[in-house]
Amino acid sequence: MSEAMMDPTPTDWNGQIMQKRIARRYAAERRFKAMGFLAVALSTVFLAFLLFTMLGQGLRGFQRTEIAVDFDFPALTSGTTAAAISGTNADAALNSMDVPGIVELAVAQQYGDISEGLLTAGAAGNVRQMLIDNPGLVTSKQQLWLPVDSRLDVAFKRDGEPAAEQTVSALAQKDALRTAFNWTFLTGADATDPSAVGIWAAFKGSLMTMAITLMLAFPVGVLAALYLEEYAAKNKLTDMIEVSINNLAAVPSIIFGLLGLAVFLTLFGMPRSSALVGGLTLALMTMPVIVIAGRNAVKSVPPSIREAALGIGASPVQVVFHHVLPLALPGILTGTIIGMARALGETAPLLMIGMRAFIPAAPEGFTDATTALPVQIYLWSDEVNQGFVEKTSAAIIVLLIFLLGMNALAIYLRNRFETRW
Amino acid sequence: MTGTALLFLVLGLGLIGWIAGRARAAAFVRSAKGGPRGTVNSLPYYHGWFVAICAIAPALAFMFIWQSISPSLVTNMVLSAPAAADLPQEGFARAAILSEARAIAQGFQATAFQGESERLVPLYKGALAYYKWIGVAATLSLLFAGGAFAFTRIKPDFRARSKVERVVMFGLLVASLIAILTTLGIFASLIFESWRFFSMVSPFEFLFGTEWNPKSVVTPGADNGYGAIPLFWGTIFIGAIIAMIVAIPLGLMSAIFLTQYASATVRKWMKPILEILAGVPTVVYGYFAALTVAPAVRDFAVMLGVSNAASDNALAAGIVMGVMIIPLVSSMSDDSIAAVPSAMRDGSLAMGATKSETIKQVLLPAALPGVVGGVLLAVSRAIGETMIVVMAAGYTANLTANPFATITTVTVQIVALLTGDQDFGSPHTLAAFALGLALFVTTFFLNYVALRVVKKYREAYE
Repeated sequence: MSEAMMDPTPTDWNGQIMQKRIARRYAAERRFKAMGFLAVALSTVFLAFLLFTMLGQGLRGFQRTEIAVDFDFPALTSGTTAAAISGTNADAALNSMDVPGIVELAVAQQYGDISEGLLTAGAAGNVRQMLIDNPGLVTSKQQLWLPVDSRLDVAFKRDGEPAAEQTVSALAQKDALRTAFNWTFLTGADATDPSAVGIWAAFKGSLMTMAITLMLAFPVGVLAALYLEEYAAKNKLTDMIEVSINNLAAVPSIIFGLLGLAVFLTLFGMPRSSALVGGLTLALMTMPVIVIAGRNAVKSVPPSIREAALGIGASPVQVVFHHVLPLALPGILTGTIIGMARALGETAPLLMIGMRAFIPAAPEGFTDATTALPVQIYLWSDEVNQGFVEKTSAAIIVLLIFLLGMNALAIYLRNRFETRW
Repeated sequence: MTGTALLFLVLGLGLIGWIAGRARAAAFVRSAKGGPRGTVNSLPYYHGWFVAICAIAPALAFMFIWQSISPSLVTNMVLSAPAAADLPQEGFARAAILSEARAIAQGFQATAFQGESERLVPLYKGALAYYKWIGVAATLSLLFAGGAFAFTRIKPDFRARSKVERVVMFGLLVASLIAILTTLGIFASLIFESWRFFSMVSPFEFLFGTEWNPKSVVTPGADNGYGAIPLFWGTIFIGAIIAMIVAIPLGLMSAIFLTQYASATVRKWMKPILEILAGVPTVVYGYFAALTVAPAVRDFAVMLGVSNAASDNALAAGIVMGVMIIPLVSSMSDDSIAAVPSAMRDGSLAMGATKSETIKQVLLPAALPGVVGGVLLAVSRAIGETMIVVMAAGYTANLTANPFATITTVTVQIVALLTGDQDFGSPHTLAAFALGLALFVTTFFLNYVALRVVKKYREAYE
């Protein structure tokens, strides 16, 4: 024992040295705690900043600017009747009417020298649709609100190019502009003009990809989890399966994309950038997540349940499928939803299997070329046109809402159905 | 009849087999009057499953095999016809005509661009129909044969349950083997394509070359611009250095604050918020990094007097990647701190140490292996991360430690090399697989070490 510890004099806690030392130690304590608080606060602030940036930009993406255009239909169409453009011949009649020409003429008459490039490319299609929906319009003078070009759209919502700003302020003085909800964004597909793009095609592509992923990854994942947890003997094969699954869960997602490219596209010759190949690739990525969650859920079912079932004569398969699986299902479902949410946000593997093409229509089948929501976000983020900024953020809002919804569902399932033994 | 319709027909007939088998077994149960039910070995629905499996399994297996061999049978039949005799012998033109004729015959394509293929369309239609009906007939006869065989086997003492359970066990085993198959598939495809790549470009140049400027036509022996050192450096610099400088302090301190200091209410609210951070898709982080963080970092650099700051700088990508990793580091540290026996903590507190002294001098040293394991996992995640760097970091290879410069990474180059309509055998495409192999081996190694460290450490306290 050292000299100091033998010293019988008690420590003078109230002395100046000791008081100072304690003050210093408490200050260090407070600093440490403040640092911890700062770390949590920084993470939260970053998340809030990210979400607010996306919301601030993205909400504009759900709106579009419209301009009032007066159509003197009787004069413009030389007296076409409502009956002529309705019924079975409507298409042919509208084609011979030259709607784009009429729109151009009407705009030129009303706005004169600034009429060039005022409307978006799809505006004539909008007029045509209005006439099909309501043929009666054609017999009278009408004021129609049509979407403006994306350059003006940007200038009206925030700061755009000087030329566009001038046009917009001139139009705004005439009260010719208004902001309306952009239905096209929810129902349309990709386009070259940002004011005509929509996310429905990408969304449908994502849904179809997810359907394939779920159909493959869920059964395989659950069965593998049951096998490993309930039946697998302790041997080399089981060890290899476990190592594979743990490793697959941590392999970078882009590697799965390379696998999809080399095996599904090149070796099996499956259709490029289709929901089928995307779903297969993501299923391989999601399966280990489901297996790991499934094993934990199966493990948490108490052995007494198995013993009771065995005791009254159930076979090992009956024990698992009649008793263990139903009790573990909420946990498995929670893990599945979390895995699916991750797959829904995954972009890199889909890029590898060719999902980066410009696809202006929603896919009809599982083998059609398609795009997916996160890939669409990536493609739009690459566009130079300023109008795409808000569309990208708007698509991100849609994606985040779905991910949050899925995660909330997972948490609800966990709280509602999970039994604590 | 399309493949889908046939599939549904097979499944429907299987269902009928299930019902029939169950009904027959149920009749045995009823007829065994007076005696105990034990005279029938298995419950009726096991007999149903036995019939259904015997009917469906061979039919599905045949459909699968037929799907892969019938195209070549069709092609052979078309080629053996006299009309196909005068096709060009040269491989590429021949294949183009055949595939076009086939696409028209199947209705995927409306008109022919090549005259010869127009002639082959009726031949193809005939051959396709011929083999399709053979396939359908064979599938259905297999199905009925299997079903009938199983149906006649149903007897009161037939052990249907053990037969069905054997099939179930086989299914479980097959499902688990898919994981091994996937791993082997990844390994085989990466090795195979990398092998082809290294037969064109020397592995020495790839691993030790410092110039990355890949040429699409390679000359053996010469320098082809496939030196991957700048990519490896960029990956390490962004993923293992900048991102970790952000993620380790923030993640570790968050874990300490949430487990040691925060009240239950704060913990209840803050943990899900950190989990949201982990759930945000990487494409969103990438967009945020490119749109908001990168310009801010460049402005900051200009303010500091760095003149050559790029808008796609390494720092922005690294910072955002670090934020993405925070939840991973935090939850791993959380686990390992919680695993430290509370006797150690209580002992330190009882000796009069403050909380922070206990944490710094007792808990963290004890939990260090677990924290290190978590950091290794985080590094492995960061270097494999793709979208953030694709969107926020640059495409130009640069061997520099300047965080405001453009630096590219392995994953960015994989994406860049596979963009564009290159032939699958081109050196660009194959180089992507070689980079993929390097990435796979590195992450595999990191994960292996991390899991070993964590496991060993857990055992120490158990």
